[in-house]
Amino acid sequence: MKSRTAWFRLSSLVLGFAFLYIPILSLVVYSFNKSKLVTVWGGFSTQGYGKLFENTQILDAAGLSLRIAAINATGATILGTFAGIALARFGQFRGRTLLSGMTTAPLVMPDVITGLSLLLMFVAMEQALGWPAGRGMTTITIAHITLTLSYVTVIVQSRLASMDIALEEAAMDLGARPVKVFLLVTLPIIAPALASGWLLAFTISLDDMVIASFVSGPGSSTLPMVIYSKVRLGVSPDINALATIMVGLVTVGVLLTGYLMFRRDRLRQRDRQLSESLG
Amino acid sequence: MTVFFRPHSLLVKLVWMTLAVLLSACSKKEAAPAQSAASATVVTAVTDDEKVLNVYNWSDYIADDTVKNFEAKYGVKVNYDVFDSNELVETKMLAGSSGYDIVVPSSQFMERQVKAGVFAKLDKSLLTNIGNLDPATLKQVAMYDPGNEHAIPYMWSTDGIGYNVDKVKKLIPDAPLDSWALIFDPKYAAKLKDCGISILDAPSDIRSIVLIYLGKDPNSQNPEDLKLAEAQLMKIRPYVRKINSSQYIEDLANGDLCVALGYNGDVLQARDRAFEAKNGINIAYVIPKEGSIVTIDTMVIPADAKHPKNAHLFMNYLMEPEVAAANSNKVNYANGNTASEAFLNESVKNDPAVYPTAEIKAKLTPELSVADDYNRLLTRTWTRFQTGK
Repeated sequence: MKSRTAWFRLSSLVLGFAFLYIPILSLVVYSFNKSKLVTVWGGFSTQGYGKLFENTQILDAAGLSLRIAAINATGATILGTFAGIALARFGQFRGRTLLSGMTTAPLVMPDVITGLSLLLMFVAMEQALGWPAGRGMTTITIAHITLTLSYVTVIVQSRLASMDIALEEAAMDLGARPVKVFLLVTLPIIAPALASGWLLAFTISLDDMVIASFVSGPGSSTLPMVIYSKVRLGVSPDINALATIMVGLVTVGVLLTGYLMFRRDRLRQRDRQLSESLG
Repeated sequence: MTVFFRPHSLLVKLVWMTLAVLLSACSKKEAAPAQSAASATVVTAVTDDEKVLNVYNWSDYIADDTVKNFEAKYGVKVNYDVFDSNELVETKMLAGSSGYDIVVPSSQFMERQVKAGVFAKLDKSLLTNIGNLDPATLKQVAMYDPGNEHAIPYMWSTDGIGYNVDKVKKLIPDAPLDSWALIFDPKYAAKLKDCGISILDAPSDIRSIVLIYLGKDPNSQNPEDLKLAEAQLMKIRPYVRKINSSQYIEDLANGDLCVALGYNGDVLQARDRAFEAKNGINIAYVIPKEGSIVTIDTMVIPADAKHPKNAHLFMNYLMEPEVAAANSNKVNYANGNTASEAFLNESVKNDPAVYPTAEIKAKLTPELSVADDYNRLLTRTWTRFQTGK
């Protein structure tokens, strides 16, 4: 009986990992493909990587995507934090339902609708106000903030809801003004939520193709747009090479944070043991 | 309290720093880089004051050095963006102020957009190379844009049959390889079923082709003709494995398909990749003797383009024989530029899949856009075909 459950657990583990990682593995393998068409195996070669570093179109697009993702994540985190605080801490103010509905609407709105409506708004604004003049990195960033703001808001709001409000009240009892309470007490406690919100916003922005294609302008093609437009002539191994490099960087990043957190936990455990033995 | 103090100051600093980065990055990036190839050999020509040109073309549709050479020759900085669907271009054109100075929609889409008034009239005095173009191609473009007032042909392509030479010959020794019957005659389609038949997911293309096969007018908007076409399509529906417009490139190259009704550029792509991979798969493309439809991608200038003179300059540059030939040599599409033929690679010029023989070329018809009512009928017919019911 026991061996049977062990077998079941092992096979579900293997199948689960296979489901998650075989696509990524095949992407890495095909980045060493000699053929120009990704899925036709033409022998081993590293020319995909060589081509990648000559392909300014893809490199520019990757750089632009990363810049937009970083700015967007920062902007969305700042605004999302404000919205989250308003929703979690300001009680039943007038228009609260409207605000909470409006901030979460982009979560359920189809990307096509968001993209098209933003495009029409930017065109109308340009005609009426003269800003934003044309479309490009600015408009893509604004569009992405609109989209990812709601994700951050939800994360911050739920973190605030689960946080012990007594901590803030204690700080105020001791004479801290609200701004000081926010900066010294609330912010450090919700910092992990801000970090995860930032990362989520970053990822969503990096992924987005639909909204970006609507609101992009001359000279501002993001990486997903360039990759997608290549479908017509087949995706080439240099894109696999780029994806492989990204997967490599993410792996290193995840391992590094894992290691740091592991070390911090151990330090904390040691401190606790030390204080207990002293007490 | 001191425990909270350190993370607080760091966090505040971080927030301010990122805010500053955000603001500076936003304001800086919009300025177009004015400085560019200011080499000594810049040719003086009629340009706009701002030496910038924003081009929006299909992806992988130009030679690698065309843009670079143009920039060096005229000192105009080109922002070259690519797209993959006519629909996206149409959205941007109809929304207005796209920021682009040249776009390259396909002819049927261009026709609608011209009617919507989103393109500027061409200044023919700036297009001195227009005489290089094939009058027959210009005439075909004029079917969409009367008088060739807005659009200049860039490249043209055909619909035809891509097939796996060895497999088809093995299954059907006397296969009619030069006829649509290979796909539309149930007698042959049944034999090819297990080997795989793929058809483009393009209702109006397929309807025109079936009408050609049936000997009718490919641009007929008669519902009776559509019914005939549907009946013919339904006969072969059980034998069709896939209805799609991109997967067949890889499937043909990997030997997973026998026959595909597809675009010539895609089939040639499959042929070349199979050849490179040396996987023993031999792909060929044929335009059947009954004739087929031709799609012309055209260059147009949006009415609100900020650099119309630069756009004319670039258009004219693309019509230079050597430039047009270099582009065709690279992308394997015919360019409709008669003067460029002297500069084409033999392998491109003599490839009937790219440049069909005069006899076949005479049987190619541009596909005109249809009325809304007919379009609705067509969509319904196509849904029935896709679902096989």
